[in-house]
Amino acid sequence: MGLTKKEVEHIAALARIKLTAAEKGKMTEELGAILGYVGKLNQVNTDSVEPMAQVTGLENVLRPDDRSLPPGELTEKLVSQFPHKKNNHLKVKAVFGETTE
Amino acid sequence: MDLKKLTIKSIRAGLAKKEFTAEELRAEFLRAIKKENPKLNAYLSMFDTPLNTGYEILNTPLADIPCAIKDNILIDGTTCTAGSKILKNYIAAYDATVIKKLKKAGTVFLGKTNLDEFAMGTTTENSAFGPTLNPHDHSRVAGGSSGGSAAAVAAGLAVFALGSDTGGSIRAPASWCGVVGLKPTYGRVSRHGLIAMASSLDQIGPLTKNVEDAAIILNAIAGHDPMDSTSSPRAVPDFTAKLSQPITGMKIAVAKEFFAAGLNPDVAKTVERAISKLQMLGAHIDYVSLPLTDYALAAYYIIVPAEISANLARFDGIRYGHSSKNGKTLLETYTESRAEGLGNEVKRRIMLGTYTLSAGYYDAYYLKAQKVRALVRQSFDKIFESYDVIVGPTMPLVAPKLNELSTPLENYLADVYTVQVNLAGLPAISVPCGNADGLPVGLQIIGKHFAEETILKTAYAYEQSRTE
Repeated sequence: MGLTKKEVEHIAALARIKLTAAEKGKMTEELGAILGYVGKLNQVNTDSVEPMAQVTGLENVLRPDDRSLPPGELTEKLVSQFPHKKNNHLKVKAVFGETTE
Repeated sequence: MDLKKLTIKSIRAGLAKKEFTAEELRAEFLRAIKKENPKLNAYLSMFDTPLNTGYEILNTPLADIPCAIKDNILIDGTTCTAGSKILKNYIAAYDATVIKKLKKAGTVFLGKTNLDEFAMGTTTENSAFGPTLNPHDHSRVAGGSSGGSAAAVAAGLAVFALGSDTGGSIRAPASWCGVVGLKPTYGRVSRHGLIAMASSLDQIGPLTKNVEDAAIILNAIAGHDPMDSTSSPRAVPDFTAKLSQPITGMKIAVAKEFFAAGLNPDVAKTVERAISKLQMLGAHIDYVSLPLTDYALAAYYIIVPAEISANLARFDGIRYGHSSKNGKTLLETYTESRAEGLGNEVKRRIMLGTYTLSAGYYDAYYLKAQKVRALVRQSFDKIFESYDVIVGPTMPLVAPKLNELSTPLENYLADVYTVQVNLAGLPAISVPCGNADGLPVGLQIIGKHFAEETILKTAYAYEQSRTE
């Protein structure tokens, strides 16, 4: 079950990772090998088996939305980690500007 | 003071008898780390003034005990890299719940330990900051992904360490470094403040010199957390209470598939000796089958990359972490930041996960893997109807040399005995059981959900029998 270079480019775009030409080649090979390995799951009969997404069996776990923190703490720490900011606001490139896609 | 021999109880006793002060103890560890760490690369960062001092008046079991924390667990105000360039300068904005609990117990933090990038790996060779060497043989790896934690404990650079385990990342390095490593039942310990890899499998657990220390730490870190919606509301027993209960009459299952082709014959002999010891201690040994063992590994390497692709989408150069200067548009900020900041294994797994979750492939891969996961859980449930624990080797080989496992698949195949446990959410412990080819071997003991007491007492009985 191999991957084509076009498929790898499509996945890279979905995954928002820019790959070099060399990386694309290597990735095609490596992902192909791994997908070949995991393909053995087709040998397992899973007719009428419910998929299991989680092991706890817990459902609808809630807590009150009352996390009141003293001011001057968490927000400041989070803002300090912003790569680009202006006046305590997170600064990003234009969302609706001209794209090169 | 032989730092390699210090346990939690021996330190508490030493402090009570005034053989040394808490300050002297901390200084000894810092000296040892400064001397040994440049070679081993167990620690990524050290706290020159160890955090959480000044609790000398506490008389709790963990007061003044110096420990190391895997660098994917957040400690407020300190860097947390997850072993990645993308978080090289990231400073945690809050304490993980386990850290809050350890701080309350008076534990002293020495520093953050090395790991495979975002916990993806079995050798710590995937760290963006170099591998961690095995203290028993510097030409070999410590194991991963909690390699730094295991090496720190084995080399006497911490009394205990916290690691995380998604597919064996506590047990594998514990096995290869000759220390105890415990992965609790999924939901037993809060994941709040653990940088997520695969949310339905990740668990935090202790790496220690002996089984009793693991039980003491589990007492401190376990418990329901309203900040982790997957944490269990089940009450936490005292995990040390039943440790020394004899294991006579215990029904122990040995999975045949854990001794199939691919297992190093010397490792097999060492583990078989350990199982005979359990029999001499009065346990009944039976051979059973876990027929999905090989398929479980394949299911794991579909499910985990899928969860990884979702969990790592947040690393995009926007709110924190490395942000590329080469992006001309918003989209390029994402694609370039991730290209520059993420390592090869991380990119591989994100790509794999993106593929198997994408339209047209979801049913064939991800859904199929989730069904196999259900079958894996059932296969364990069936065995646990008649048996108390399942045992076998933790790893199919001893610590490999650097670069020995050279392809992604070779690394994945080393996880064959450990991943099923995470898929089913079961607790498991790796306890040292001797050497093979001169290197440490671990015995893995797997229990039913929330049966940490059972696997701890089995491990304790075995451990104590070795010192007689």
